[in-house]
Amino acid sequence: MKLAFQLAYKNLIGAGLRTWLNVGVLAFSFIIIIFYNGLIDGWNEQAKYDSIAWEFGEGKLLHADYDSFDPFTILDGHGVLEKEQLENLTPVLLRQASIYPEGRMLSVALKGIDVNQTTLDLPTAALKNSLASIPTVIGRDMADAANLKTGDNILLRWRDQGGTFDAAKITIVEIFETNVPTVDGGQVWIPIKKMWKMTGLENHATFYVANEKYQPSNISGWKYQSQEMLLSDLNKIIAMKKISGSIMYLLLLAIALLAIFDTQVLSVFRRQKEIGTYISLGMTRSQVVGLFTVEGSMYSIFAMILGSIVGVPLFAYLSKIGIGMPAASRDMGIPLAERIYPVFGIQLVVGTILLVVIAATIVSFLPARKISKMNPVLALKGKLQ
Amino acid sequence: MKNETIISIQNVTKRFPVGEGEFTALKNINLEFQRGEFAGLVGPSGSGKTTLLNIIGSLDSPTEGAALILGKNISELSHKESAWLRNKHIGFIFQVYNLLPVYTVYENVEFALLLQDIPKAQRKKMVMDALDWVGLASMADKKPDKLSGGEGQRVAIARAMVKKPEIVIADEPSANLDAANTHAILKTMRELNENLGTTFLFSTHDEKVMSYLDRIVHLRDGAVEEDEIIKSKMANK
Repeated sequence: MKLAFQLAYKNLIGAGLRTWLNVGVLAFSFIIIIFYNGLIDGWNEQAKYDSIAWEFGEGKLLHADYDSFDPFTILDGHGVLEKEQLENLTPVLLRQASIYPEGRMLSVALKGIDVNQTTLDLPTAALKNSLASIPTVIGRDMADAANLKTGDNILLRWRDQGGTFDAAKITIVEIFETNVPTVDGGQVWIPIKKMWKMTGLENHATFYVANEKYQPSNISGWKYQSQEMLLSDLNKIIAMKKISGSIMYLLLLAIALLAIFDTQVLSVFRRQKEIGTYISLGMTRSQVVGLFTVEGSMYSIFAMILGSIVGVPLFAYLSKIGIGMPAASRDMGIPLAERIYPVFGIQLVVGTILLVVIAATIVSFLPARKISKMNPVLALKGKLQ
Repeated sequence: MKNETIISIQNVTKRFPVGEGEFTALKNINLEFQRGEFAGLVGPSGSGKTTLLNIIGSLDSPTEGAALILGKNISELSHKESAWLRNKHIGFIFQVYNLLPVYTVYENVEFALLLQDIPKAQRKKMVMDALDWVGLASMADKKPDKLSGGEGQRVAIARAMVKKPEIVIADEPSANLDAANTHAILKTMRELNENLGTTFLFSTHDEKVMSYLDRIVHLRDGAVEEDEIIKSKMANK
């Protein structure tokens, strides 16, 4: 085998431009595959981190009647926990409401939250410190959509416990920047104590956000969703994104492998005299097949080296400065930062190397098999077989 | 020259399929060659010279009969065994040299030794010795495309001889050479034959080559027409 590698190395170096074209295409595939997966992994990590920090905490305890995918459950999906059950939980009460910026009506999710909470990154301290009658914080997307800015007073209309409409002015005390659209778009955050008074739902919550000290237990009328369960939708979206992305890079890889396959097919035909010479010098047919296969797989090894020379500094740079995402991407409804910092893990790099090396070896072996059926006499004469 | 049969061709017939039918390239050939012979197969194109050499070189096998090379029936050898026979005991010299284009002169000559797992230092000595025999030690680092025809064929001789095989098969070695180069390479081969006792077997219709041979087997239409011992040369040996 060592000999096959030595000979293959010499043959490939000797083949000059043909080798470097194949290696170049394959190295490009290496870089794109690793880059794309690194980007998705970076996005994945960032999205999970942001979702936990802004929305999920360590988990959520939801009222049994509340279904986050069904707005009709908001009206009745709330309840009260015993005082001793509230430890390490941040209450959030959710109601449907409308605001009237610039005379337009905008439906919003009105959320009351404990102003002293530290579980989520929401700037609730701004609610606590404000002297406004109903201090409110909203996200940047919400502010942009409603054309609101800090200090604006707008009319809020909501329904109380009995279903009666009520209205009051709210004051925007802070606009926060977040990558998590589910706490931003169409969301209005006010102090929960204020909201209890506004709605008459004293001490009620639609759900509670758990911190890391919270020990889940069965509480009648409530259902606990762990962080993992809450992240499952996000994981599914990322997995789908990976699959759709993999089609792109598999196409790219297929082009690179086709180039190797073509070169190998051509080699088997063009190098028949050489094959005959190897056999006359004492190589077995299987050794020659092995040599041609190793030549093909060495393209991937050269590509790995070339890809590393180009890719390592490039990836290190991108990991540091991140990649800017277009503003329109935020409309997809999943956490997406303005800059994503790709993550190039060992598993990704080793997995990609193995994928490319194995695939290159297989596509090299397929045409090389023909050698095992070659007549060495005809091969020496260079006759097509 | 030892009186030891090194090649024994017994009732060998070789047929090739041609379209729907068959072409008989060799018809019931019986020949023996002794260790150290400098012999040639002579005949017009299509007489079966190359076919017989290919069988002796274990690159092909007879349709009927037996070819015993160094006592081994080549029809009974596995691929691995016949590769070993070629690698260890048989050297080939081709009409168009068949040098490996991406290797240097040194690497071309070294190739067969690599397959034998010979240590590097020993390999180097053997390769340089072989290049010395053919007078090309100074060209060890050159690629084949930088060599003249005569130099290329001398590299092929060094490659065939480096492993000191019992048999060297030379298929029309002078076909692409001028007269001066033909004489030069034949003198080299003759010296190696005499110094190392290697059996040389040529296929040729070049009279310059024939003038060096001890024995000439005339083939015509796949059969032996005449087996001629050149007595003057044999007597000189």
